[in-house]
Amino acid sequence: MPDKHLSSQFDADLNALSSRLLEMGGLVESQISTAMRAFTQMDLDTCNVVIENEKLVNDLEIQIDLACTEVIAKRQPTARDLRLVMAVSKAITNLERAGDEAERVAKSAKSLIESGAPHNINVAEIRLSGQMAINLLRRSLDSFARLDTIAAAEVVAEDRQIDEEFRGFVRKLMTYMAEDPHMISTGLDMLSIAKAIERIGDHAKNIAEFVIYIAKGSDVRHIPHEDLVREANKP
Amino acid sequence: MMSNMKTMFDLNTIDSQGGKVETTNQHAEQGAINALEVRNLNFYYGGFQGLKNINLDIEQGKVTAFIGPSGCGKSTLLRTLNRMYDLYPGQRAEGEINFYGQNILAPNQDLNLLRSRIGMVFQKPTPFPMSIYENIAFGVRLYEKLSRSEMDERVEWALNKAALWTEAKDKLNQSGLSLSGGQQQRLCIARGVAVKPSVILLDEPTSALDPISTGKIEELINELKHEYTIAIVTHNMQQAARVSDYTAYMYLGNLVEYGKTDEIFIKPKRKETEDYITGRFG
Amino acid sequence: MDAEQYGEEARDENMNNTSNINPAIFAKRKRANKIGLTLSMGAMLLGMVFLFWILGVLLFKGFSAIDWSLFTASTPAPGSDGGGLANAIVGSLLLVGCCTLISTPIGVLAGLYLSEYGDRSRVASITRFVTDIMLSAPSIVIGLFVYAFIVAQAKHFSGWAGTVALALIAIPVVVRTTENMLRLVPGSLREAAYALGTPKWKVAFKVTLRAAQSGVMTGILLALARVSGETAPLLFTALNNQFFSTNMNAPMANLPVVIFQFAMSPYDNWVELAWGGALLITFAVLGLNILARVVFREKVQG
Repeated sequence: MPDKHLSSQFDADLNALSSRLLEMGGLVESQISTAMRAFTQMDLDTCNVVIENEKLVNDLEIQIDLACTEVIAKRQPTARDLRLVMAVSKAITNLERAGDEAERVAKSAKSLIESGAPHNINVAEIRLSGQMAINLLRRSLDSFARLDTIAAAEVVAEDRQIDEEFRGFVRKLMTYMAEDPHMISTGLDMLSIAKAIERIGDHAKNIAEFVIYIAKGSDVRHIPHEDLVREANKP
Repeated sequence: MMSNMKTMFDLNTIDSQGGKVETTNQHAEQGAINALEVRNLNFYYGGFQGLKNINLDIEQGKVTAFIGPSGCGKSTLLRTLNRMYDLYPGQRAEGEINFYGQNILAPNQDLNLLRSRIGMVFQKPTPFPMSIYENIAFGVRLYEKLSRSEMDERVEWALNKAALWTEAKDKLNQSGLSLSGGQQQRLCIARGVAVKPSVILLDEPTSALDPISTGKIEELINELKHEYTIAIVTHNMQQAARVSDYTAYMYLGNLVEYGKTDEIFIKPKRKETEDYITGRFG
Repeated sequence: MDAEQYGEEARDENMNNTSNINPAIFAKRKRANKIGLTLSMGAMLLGMVFLFWILGVLLFKGFSAIDWSLFTASTPAPGSDGGGLANAIVGSLLLVGCCTLISTPIGVLAGLYLSEYGDRSRVASITRFVTDIMLSAPSIVIGLFVYAFIVAQAKHFSGWAGTVALALIAIPVVVRTTENMLRLVPGSLREAAYALGTPKWKVAFKVTLRAAQSGVMTGILLALARVSGETAPLLFTALNNQFFSTNMNAPMANLPVVIFQFAMSPYDNWVELAWGGALLITFAVLGLNILARVVFREKVQG
């Protein structure tokens, strides 16, 4: 974060908000990776690890929200400081929900393992989208750390790919479930996992939008993509 | 409303009830009217230039705040608007200040009349050494001839406008100095309002007051702005944010940025402005 | 909160912790303080002693003269018994009264001009200079001046000449105090009046002067007090009058000259009357000073 305030405590408080957000982001990232690994390796213990650690993510959300409130109460931030605090407060909601999605992946994977039914659904696509989602989240957090609006705009654009992948996978699943009704239960678990990944991508996109808000002051949610890119590229 | 006060000499448009002739619809249709337009204003304290080429509009019926660090020229600018600097030789202003179209920096401008149309309240509450009633009647008597009952009404009206009537109505004959600091400042505001100016200038009106008195006066400003144009100098940024519609940030005699208060405090255009309001100064 | 709960240790660590206090410097400072206090008390006592001594002597010697006839009978002829100071008292009151009527408006207006209008003008600086000189001019010189210009021209002494002489002493005092009191009025008060559109003269009279009014009054009272006891100017102008008279165009009896005349005379009743007169003047002046102080104190509290 740029120039220093007259109050070094204020600087410290704002920096703490940013670094704690990144810390929470890192934790959520690892939750998602672990959940994906649990799914691909069909490992029950790994599933349980993810489900247990979900509590840590929730705790962080509460702590960081409290820190945001304290900064507002004590410092009455304005301009970019205000935008930062508002954005952090919202971004941690996105991160917490991404954490919930990771837990959902783990729970669905657990359900798959416990049902024991073999299947011949090709999960390569899920693995791929999972990787993309993790990558997108990492890049959005990265753009937050550097307040890089160009990188953030790219994250917003690439979320579309995850959405496309998801739609493709749903079509495939429907075919499988239609062909073999015994596959429906498995299919639904798979759907749940795919949906979770798609949502993680959306959360990463939201965080990227907040980056543009902090740096440029424009709220780029719900506007056409060309306008978003233009805002991101403003000097 | 203001179209009737466009010329400074229209004192007879004030009716005896103390109200102004209402034409609020007209205001909305016409769009923004400027009470004061500052053009190419330069100000000198002897050899030192206190204001550098200021261009600024003060919109009618709105509160405009001037903020900036000490010595930036905000009080200087305020005091040119009612030519207060004329009291002190060696201070001079160059440029134009148009008050509803009339240039008040012109040498043939009647200063006393100007100051009755553009009033000022200062940082230190200064009640006159007279009774509360007389404090308010003093200014009114300068330009209007009112009967005793009309004057009573005007005094009550002015004290009501300053939210001081209930506290003062039983001691109108007591000295103005017997009031508390916050009350004295509201008395000064009542005194300024009583002569029905078009514009009220406030020079750090709450700096010397406690938070509750400050809050009362901010509430007052909120009420007054419906009928008057207000310009306020404050070194308290949060106050400027709370109270004003437009904010001007000044630094070393220059006008750095001017815009809607909401925009300035969420997304200022200039980095200098942002540095100042976020406390990154120095 | 009980001091005992803090215990010896806390006390030792805080109040009794004099590790950074140099005891020699501390002791020296205490000593210097004591010496200074003693000296100032001594000076005050000395002043008080003389004041009370004078008042005591006056009371002792003059009290016997205080009776009803002091105020009703006129000054006795040489050799005759009894008598009072009625004509002198009335004469002094007339002289001082007329002097006040003349010097107050002139002095206050001049002071107002100096403070509000003539801050930097040539006329103002000259006026101030002249005022300062007049303040310290010997009163006998002023008396002689008035003698030369009024008494000699008119070829007779008069109460008016006396009034003029007293006024010439009182006016500079009023001018100075008025100007100083007006300067004490804060500029913010004047600005507040100007900001309402008040013309300059109104600001000066109705706001500034009014704000300074108790101070200005004090100045006038002090000028009165000063002038009540002046003898030398009256010697050449109003002279004295053995009989009761209120004719200002003729010599006028007055307390200071009567005292001068009676104090060193061989007649006992004259000497007694002189002490009585001195007592009257002293307490009148004292009274005026106290009054001035009381009026001024009210202003400070307000």
